[in-house]
Amino acid sequence: MTDHVTHGGFAAIETEREEAAHNRAAAERGDAPLLPSERLWGFWEFTYANSALAIATWAFLIGGAIGLFVGPKEGIAAIVIGNIVGVALTALATTPLSGRYGIEQFVALRSQFGYNGSRVVYLLAVVVLTMGWLAVLAMMFGRSIDGLAALSAGEAANPTGIKMIIAAVGAILVTWFIVAKGPTSIKFFNMVVSPALVILMIVMLYLILQHRSFAELLEMPALAPPFEDSTLNFIIAVEVNLAAGFSWWPYIGNLARLTKNERTAFWPNIVGIFGAAVLGEIVGLLAAVALGDSDPTIWMTKIAGPAIGIIALLFVAFANMTSMANILYTSIVGLRQVGTASIRAISWGMILFLFCVIPLGLVVFYPQMYDGFFIFLVWTSALNSALAGIGIADYFFLRGQKLDMRSLHAPQESGPYRFWGGFNPIGLAALAVGFGVYVLVFNPQTLASLPAFKYLTASVPSCLAAGVVHYLLTRLFARGAGWGNYPGR
Amino acid sequence: METDIAWQKELERRARIYDDIEAGGRWEGVMTTLDYAGMAVFTVVLIVGFWIWGA
Repeated sequence: MTDHVTHGGFAAIETEREEAAHNRAAAERGDAPLLPSERLWGFWEFTYANSALAIATWAFLIGGAIGLFVGPKEGIAAIVIGNIVGVALTALATTPLSGRYGIEQFVALRSQFGYNGSRVVYLLAVVVLTMGWLAVLAMMFGRSIDGLAALSAGEAANPTGIKMIIAAVGAILVTWFIVAKGPTSIKFFNMVVSPALVILMIVMLYLILQHRSFAELLEMPALAPPFEDSTLNFIIAVEVNLAAGFSWWPYIGNLARLTKNERTAFWPNIVGIFGAAVLGEIVGLLAAVALGDSDPTIWMTKIAGPAIGIIALLFVAFANMTSMANILYTSIVGLRQVGTASIRAISWGMILFLFCVIPLGLVVFYPQMYDGFFIFLVWTSALNSALAGIGIADYFFLRGQKLDMRSLHAPQESGPYRFWGGFNPIGLAALAVGFGVYVLVFNPQTLASLPAFKYLTASVPSCLAAGVVHYLLTRLFARGAGWGNYPGR
Repeated sequence: METDIAWQKELERRARIYDDIEAGGRWEGVMTTLDYAGMAVFTVVLIVGFWIWGA
């Protein structure tokens, strides 16, 4: 009898533990808010994690692109100014609410765009951005391998040739395989690659300074300034960096929900993402200007010579794969939250592969994208800056920093975030206005701009316009329509 | 169905914990006016400083 009771007691405890573990795992996936006691990251843990994301090879690419527009002195100023504004506004829009409520970013977005509107935003901001980055990083991997082969054979590299394409396709497929295995393999890569990238940056900086002094570097001209007006070139460089700062919008909210509170969710972005991205970009900028080529796969071999060049290229090649694995994983986790039941029913491996099809197509059929990647980056800012403005207006000024956890996680069809058929027309209109303002002020494709661009940039007015439109229209119409559970004044 | 009910209960439990924190004003590590003002000042100093230095 006692044995039965004991066994029964143990079984009940075991079931309870299993249930708690199951619930916690579901919360970690974003199905429920994480409780403060379940969140693991303090200030330094989060700083380390987002540094790992920011210290990536794309920083070399962006830094090199800045060298096309302005010289190193203006470039460093543009990198700091653009990144601090972009990262600060993006962090304000996404991390205080994640840090307070432990809520998944796209679940929280239901309060701004409706439960179907948040799906549209995910499609526009995450899918397009991530697919583009996957293709660019895979091509960077391919170019590194092509450069390696050329160095070994003593031949000239062919950055758009068949070797690059085969290696880039291979990179996407290997990334798919790694992510299909689960997050543990990604964590392992992060632990190794991030510190090694810091060392690589320091070595590269040392080698650059062996070629030219810092004072000499600061006096060097831009590689290919598009306009005679140096202020306009400088503002374009600032705009590219604003775009880089705003490009964290799809990712940092979901990292911040793992932190213990608001402060630990917000401040590490300034140390980690801002600091790490600035460091990487400055190395990329100085190297590009000093060696006359903005492509890191080319300047690395020029600067380091064949022996260290081979090691650096090999390392950069695999570091790209780590970045690819990180963004692919984050995007597909988000897709589970916004996806329909039929999308959730697709197996993890298959949905990952389907996501990789477009990047594979870009690599094979549009390798020229690599050279104009900064244009692609700036396009994404037309969306991300507007999203940041709407996020700040909604959470801080309309909701007084309060979210309704029950309604956000309950079935949505009859809840307050159904708005109009699941779409919040106000949020989506504000997004369209922000996007429109951006393209009106500055066209990323043609670099054509209004005179105001030189004084305001394009991302800042886009962010402001979207925020103001969202605020005013919500005040005027949302309460009357009974939309969105906004508090009364 | 049973799983659904259990999950709704779990969501309710989590929402209630946040309600209690809210009601008791027990938020830890809240961003205060000082944090936001500090961030604003830091941003402005970097913009103005690097603008003067670099542009």
